[in-house]
Amino acid sequence: MAKPQQAAARGAGSVSSQEGPPGEDTRLAAAILDGDRKATAEFVSRYTDGLYRYVFTRLAPRTDLVEDLVQEVFLAAWEHLASFRGQSSLEGWLLGIARHKVEDHYRTHLRAPLSVEEEPEADDWSLAPDLDEKLDEERLRERTARVLDGLPEAYRLALLWRYWEKCPAQEMAMRTGKTEKSIERLLARARQRFRRNWQDA
Amino acid sequence: MPDREQDEKLFIRLADRTGLGSMPARPAPSRLKARIYSALMLRESASKELRSIPETKAQGGKLCVFEELVRIAPVSAKTKSLNICRLCHARVLGEALEKPPIYWANCPYVEFKRS
Repeated sequence: MAKPQQAAARGAGSVSSQEGPPGEDTRLAAAILDGDRKATAEFVSRYTDGLYRYVFTRLAPRTDLVEDLVQEVFLAAWEHLASFRGQSSLEGWLLGIARHKVEDHYRTHLRAPLSVEEEPEADDWSLAPDLDEKLDEERLRERTARVLDGLPEAYRLALLWRYWEKCPAQEMAMRTGKTEKSIERLLARARQRFRRNWQDA
Repeated sequence: MPDREQDEKLFIRLADRTGLGSMPARPAPSRLKARIYSALMLRESASKELRSIPETKAQGGKLCVFEELVRIAPVSAKTKSLNICRLCHARVLGEALEKPPIYWANCPYVEFKRS
């Protein structure tokens, strides 16, 4: 089970916009464990949108997987709800579970043999995003999301895991059972393809 | 080829400026909420008896029209603890359609559609 602090520490964001007062989370958890159907409905209502957003941004454009994974998060949460002690918020706790599920997905996909083509060795540094240029934040985010969405899955997941989730390459290697060198190679190709696609996005 | 260190820095900066929390995303479909609720209720009811409908009402829970009928019906206490949503057409419609034609108050599937 993931520790909620981990999610908070890595800037996972907020799941719910309807956070209750302190003690509200433990009351809700206790009511669900007591078989209260209304509490279960409230649990789903309160947290699904935020968890969906969290998973969606990490798995897009594989939206077919997003729904299954969000459901898995809820089922895992329900199974371990008795261990929720209220030391952190329920949303942080749920994010911790979601984070583990997403990382499992990254790990499974990057562990499989990669069938990614060699990138041409062109000097394409000039195609890179120019972050010093005054770019509207909203447009920068949209363009980045578009480029990430257009990458082969292994490239997209590797970049998301390394830079957006801030997982060191060494840890990625350890968790996928690959060598650090092969992860570095994959990242280099992924960055190169990202830069090439940046101009067309 | 760009210098690897320079390349790393660029992507670190890009990720910092476009944190995933602020990336464009849509709200969850209501049928997903319906499916999650049904799955949780199925597991809860299989693992233990649910809080009975009269008790739910006594503790401040708002009942839908069908739950209210079960509450006043002359049936056993065990029946009043059943997961009656399992038999309800609102569940079927809520799980299958994004805008299910269900409208009555205090039904979780109707609430998911609104949220």
